[in-house]
Amino acid sequence: MIAYIIRRLLYTIPIIFGVLLVTFILFNVVSGDVSDQIAGKAASAETIAEIRAEYGWDKPLFLSWDSQFINHLKNSLTFDFGRSWSDREPIIDKIKQGALPSLSLTIPMFIGELIISISLALIVAFFRGTIIDILSVFICVVLMSVPFLSFILFGQYFLAFKWGLFPVYFWPDLPLPQYVALPILIGIVAGLGGNLRFYRTVMLDELRNDYVRTAFAKGLGTGTVLFRHVLKNAMIPIITQVVLAIPFLFLGSLLLERFFGIPGLGYLMIDAIAARDFQIINAMTFIGAILFVVFNLITDICYSIVDPRVSFE
Amino acid sequence: MIKGRSYWADSLRQLRKHTLAMYSLGIIVVYILVVMFIYLANWTKTDVSFLDWNQQVGKEYEKPNKQNILGTDFLGRSVLRKTIYGARVSLTIAFWASIISILIGVPLGAAAGYFRGFIDDIVVWIYTTLSSIPYILLILAFALVLRGKTLNLNSLGLGTISLSGISTVYLAIGLTSWVDICRLIRAEVMKHKQREYILAALSYGCSNSRIIFRHLIPNVFHLIIISFSLRFVGFIQAEVILSFLGLGEKNSPSWGAMIDAARLDLPKGYWWEMTAATAAIFLISLALNIFGDALRDSLDPKLKVQ
Amino acid sequence: MRYCFLAILLIAGCRYSAEKPDPNDTVLYSSHGAKVRGLDPGDIGDTTSTAIASQIIECLYQYHYLKRPYELIPSLAEGMPFVSKDGLAYTIKIKKGVRFADDVCFNDGKGRELRAGDFVFAWKRIADIKYLSKNWWIFDNKIVGLDEFREYTKTCKRTADVDYNSPVEGLQTPDDYTLVIKLKKPWPQIVYLLAHLPTAPMAQEAVEYYGKDIINHPVGTGPYKLKRWHKGSYIEMVKNPIFRDEFYPSEGEPNDARNGLLADAGKKLPLTNRLVTVLIQEDPPQWFLFLQGKIDVSGIPKDNFSEAIDLRRQLTPEMQARNIKLFTFRDTSTYWFGFNMEDEVLGKNLPLRMALSCAVDRDKYIELFTNNRGEPAYGFIPPLMSCYNPDIKNIAQTAYNLQNARKLVKEAERIYGSKLPRLTLAMPGTDIVFRQHGDFLKRCFKDAGLDVEIDYMDWPTFQNKIKTKSAQMFALGWVGDYPDAENFLQLFYSKNVSPGSNNFNYSNPEFDRIYENACVMPDSPERDALYKKAEEIVIKDCPAIFLTHGVAFVLTHDWALNVKPHAFAYGTSKYRRVDPVKKAAYSELLRTLK
Repeated sequence: MIAYIIRRLLYTIPIIFGVLLVTFILFNVVSGDVSDQIAGKAASAETIAEIRAEYGWDKPLFLSWDSQFINHLKNSLTFDFGRSWSDREPIIDKIKQGALPSLSLTIPMFIGELIISISLALIVAFFRGTIIDILSVFICVVLMSVPFLSFILFGQYFLAFKWGLFPVYFWPDLPLPQYVALPILIGIVAGLGGNLRFYRTVMLDELRNDYVRTAFAKGLGTGTVLFRHVLKNAMIPIITQVVLAIPFLFLGSLLLERFFGIPGLGYLMIDAIAARDFQIINAMTFIGAILFVVFNLITDICYSIVDPRVSFE
Repeated sequence: MIKGRSYWADSLRQLRKHTLAMYSLGIIVVYILVVMFIYLANWTKTDVSFLDWNQQVGKEYEKPNKQNILGTDFLGRSVLRKTIYGARVSLTIAFWASIISILIGVPLGAAAGYFRGFIDDIVVWIYTTLSSIPYILLILAFALVLRGKTLNLNSLGLGTISLSGISTVYLAIGLTSWVDICRLIRAEVMKHKQREYILAALSYGCSNSRIIFRHLIPNVFHLIIISFSLRFVGFIQAEVILSFLGLGEKNSPSWGAMIDAARLDLPKGYWWEMTAATAAIFLISLALNIFGDALRDSLDPKLKVQ
Repeated sequence: MRYCFLAILLIAGCRYSAEKPDPNDTVLYSSHGAKVRGLDPGDIGDTTSTAIASQIIECLYQYHYLKRPYELIPSLAEGMPFVSKDGLAYTIKIKKGVRFADDVCFNDGKGRELRAGDFVFAWKRIADIKYLSKNWWIFDNKIVGLDEFREYTKTCKRTADVDYNSPVEGLQTPDDYTLVIKLKKPWPQIVYLLAHLPTAPMAQEAVEYYGKDIINHPVGTGPYKLKRWHKGSYIEMVKNPIFRDEFYPSEGEPNDARNGLLADAGKKLPLTNRLVTVLIQEDPPQWFLFLQGKIDVSGIPKDNFSEAIDLRRQLTPEMQARNIKLFTFRDTSTYWFGFNMEDEVLGKNLPLRMALSCAVDRDKYIELFTNNRGEPAYGFIPPLMSCYNPDIKNIAQTAYNLQNARKLVKEAERIYGSKLPRLTLAMPGTDIVFRQHGDFLKRCFKDAGLDVEIDYMDWPTFQNKIKTKSAQMFALGWVGDYPDAENFLQLFYSKNVSPGSNNFNYSNPEFDRIYENACVMPDSPERDALYKKAEEIVIKDCPAIFLTHGVAFVLTHDWALNVKPHAFAYGTSKYRRVDPVKKAAYSELLRTLK
C-alpha cells in the first residue's frame, strides 16, 4: 500500500515536468518574445531591447544553465510568475485576489448542482422507462443545447432588470452574497442538463448490474434498491467525477464573471486571452495542472484504501 | 434450425426496432445530405438560390415574416439561408475533429494497452499531461499557434494546405480531444488481451500488428462508434465557444458566429438569428443523443437478449 | 497618440442612494468599459487610465472647461509661458504654495510643496531608457540635451545607476518656481503637450518609495486622491483636502448660461466629494445600470441605441419619460482604411485606390455601425479644427459612386496589365463587431467589381503587420490629442514611416516641405492655409479610404449637473455635481413608469 502511494507520488514528477514542458513550448517557443507589443506603438528599438532583457527573452531557449527553459522551471515551481506586462502587477497577487470571488461563485454553484442533479437523477431512475424518464431526457438535451450565453442574457434581463429580483451587476459595497446569487442560479440551471443526464446514466448503469436483479428478485421495492444499494455503489464514479472537477472550480466561470462583474479568475483569464497576455495564461495553466495532479493523486490513494480490487500495475 | 446471427446483424436489428432512434437517424442523414449538397454546389460552382447566403433579401433586421421565414440579419441577408449554410461549418469541424481524435487516440490507446511496458508509460504520460491542462486553454493555445501556418504535405502528394479558419479550429479541437477515446480503447484492449481468443492467436504465432488490427480493433470498434456519435455534439458546441473567443470561421456563416452576434442583438430585441442557430444545433444534438444512446444500447454485449 | 477604432467616451456622475444618506457626502458614479492599466503618468498609454489619473494628477496647463473653440489656461503654471523671439526658449512660472497630496512617501506623511524641479525629474524619467516609458515620443528630438541624457542612460547597467542630477541644458530651474525649457527647433504645439498627462510632475520621493508599484499609488496635486482600487472591479477617489484654490469658471459659450452650466460659477472645486468608477465590460449590464439610475452619464452602447434614440437623433419617448438628456458633440477623430503605399499593387495604382474609396457607401456605414453617430470623411482633418476644409469632398473625388468605381477599376486593370489580384484588408480584431464590418465591406467592394479578402487578427498581430509594412490595407483611425492639425499631418510625414506613425508609408517631398515649414509656425490664418494645402496634396494621392469623423453622444440623467462634453480634457469630474433631491425622486419616477 505504502509502496503504491510512493509510486504514485513519484509518478507525479514526470507529469509535472510534462506540463512544464508543454507550457514552455506553447508560451515561450511558439509565442514568446512580445517585447514590441509591451513597448507600445511608438517605442524605440532600445526600449524594446530593454524590455526583452528584463523578461529574459534574449536568453537561449534550452541549451545553457541560464536558459529560458531552466528559468521557466524555476519560476513555475516557486510560483514566481513575474509581473504581468500589461499593468506591471505581480501575477501571483492577481491570482490570489481573484481566487476568493471565483470560489464564492463556483463552490455554491457546484454543490447546488450536485445535490439537485443527484436527487433528480434518483427520482428519474425510479421512474425509468416511463414517460417521465423520456421527458426528462428530452428536457436535459434541450437545456444542454441552449447556449450558455442565452441563459446569461435572458437571466440578467428578466430576473434582474425587468423584475428586479436580483442586482443586475456587481456594485461597490454591495455584499457578496447579493451579487453572486443570480449568477449561481443561472449556472446551476444551465449545467443541470448535462449533469442530470450523466448521473442518470450512472444510476441506470448501476441498475443493470446483477446484484440489482437479485435485490428485485428478493422482492425489494425500487425505492429501497435505489437508496440503499445503487446510491452507495454509484458513489464511486460520482465521487471520481466530483473530485476531478474540483481543480477546475478555481478557474471560475468566464462568462458569468464577465457579465456580472465578479472580479475573479475567470475574468482575469478572459482578459488575458483577449490581451494575449501569455504570462497570466501560463500561470493559470500551471496552477490548474498542479491542482489536477494533486487531486488525481488524492483520488487514487483514496481508491486504493477503499477498494482492494484496484490493480497495482 | 435457427439461423445464426452475427453480432452486427443483431445490433442492427435491435436498432431498427427503436423508432425514435430511426427518426433521429433520419434527421442526421438530412443534415449530412445538406452539407454534402453544399460542398457539391461549391465544387461545381453552381449557383443555388437558397444557398446564396450573402445576398441581400430584405431590409436590415427584419422580423420573421412571409417573405423571409426566419427574418434577416444586420445586412439584410436571409437568416434561413445562413442557417442552412452554417451547417457546413459546424458539421465539417465536428467531423474532422472526430476523425483526427480517433486517428490519434485509437492507435495510441491500442498500442498502449497491448504492448504495456514502456510504450504504455509514454502514452499514459502524454495524455495525463495533456488532460491536466484546462481544456479551454489548451484549445486556445493550439488555435493561436496553428493560425496562419501552412501544412506541408508534399511528401504525401497532397500539396500544401494553408490553415485557415475552419482547419485551424478542427485541428485544434482534434489534437486536444483524443485523450478520452485513447483511455477507453486502452482499457478495453487491456481487458481483451486476457481473453482466450487472443491467447490462442498468440499461440499460433500471429504477429502483433495482425492481432491488433484484425482482432482487437474490430472488437472494440463499437466503442469507437459510440464515442464518435456522442462526442460529435460536443464538438459542435466547442465551435460556438471558439467563435466567441474570436477563433472561428469568419468568412462564411457558422452557427457559433450567429450566436455570438446575439450578444449585440438580444439587448436590441432581435432574437431570430440566435434562435435559428440554437434550433439548428438543438435538433442535431437531440438526434445524435437519442441515436447515440440507442446505438450504445444495441451494441452493448451485456444487453444482448439471447 | 491614441489609436482607437471604436471610441466610446464615458464620463459620469451621479449620487448613489446609499443606506446611510449623508447630505454632506456627494458621490459621483461612472463606468468604464476597459480596464485601468496603471496610474503612472509617465508610462500612461490608454484612455481609461488617463481618464482616472487626470482627476488625481495635474499638468502645467489645462483646457478651459466651457469655452469653445478649445483654449488652454494655466493649471499648475502661474500664467501662459513667456516665449523668446526665436521660439526656442519657454519660461514658465510655477504657482506657489501648491502641495502634493498627503502620502506616506513624504516625510511625516505631509505632502511637499510642488517645485519646478519636479517637472524636470518627471521628464528626465521619461527619457530614461531604463524606465521603459512608451511616451518618449513626446520629447524625442525636441529639448536640448535631453536626447543626450537618454543616450547616457543607455550606458548605465542598472536603473539605480542613473544619476538624475546630471544636468540637461534644455531643462533649467533658476529657482524653485521657474522652469526654463530650451528647444532644438520651434515647437508651437508644446503648450498643448504640457496639458497632456504624461508631462505631469512627479515627486521623487514617491518614485523612490513605491518603485515599480507606483502605477498603483499615484501621488499628484489634483483635486482627488486615490482611496480604494479593486483591480478589475472599481476605483474610488476622494476629495483631496489640501487641494489648492481653484474655482468653477464664470464664463463660457453663449448657450452655457441658459443650459445652467454657469450656476456654480465661482465655487471652489471640486464640487463632489467622492468619485467611484465601476468597470463594466459588457454592454447589456452597463445599459441596465444606467437605466436603473445607478450610473448617471453614459456614452450609448451601440446596441441599445434603438431603445434610446430614433434615427432623427432625438431621444425616444421612453428616455424622455425618464428625464434623460442627450448631448452630441464632435470629437476630433477620423477613421479610415489605409493603403500601404509601398505595396506593389496599390502603391503605383492611383485609379485602384480611388476605385476602392468610391466603392464604400459611407452613409450606409454610418447608419449601420455608428447608428448615425458620425459624419462622412473625405479628408483626415476633422471638422473641429479651424483648418478643416469643407470643400474636401469635391477635391477628393472619392465619394460613394458605383459607376465611378467600376470605371476606375477598368483603368486600374489597364495600369496593372491584367485582371486585378485579390487584395487583403487587415482588421484589428476578431470579434463579432469586426466581422460585421468585414462583411459589409466585402459587399461594397464586390458590388464595384473588386475582390477583397478580410483578414481578421488580434491587435498585437495587427500592430506587428503594420510595423513591418506587411499589411496591404488596414483598418485604423486617429483621435487628435490636441486642437492642432499638426497632430494629423505628422501621420503623413515621410520621416515617420513605419515603424513610426506613418502607417501608410506615404512619402511626398512637396508635402514634407510644407509640413516642416508649417509645424513650427504659431497658430495663424497663414498656417491654416498651409495645413489645408498640405492636406490637399495628400488627398489627391489617395493614401486611404477616409471613412468617418467621430461624433460622440453622451446621455445623462437630469440630476447630473455641469456636464459638458470635452474633446480633449479628462480631468473634468471636478466640475460635476449631483442634485440629491432629483436623484432620490428617480426611483419614484421608475415606479410610476412601470
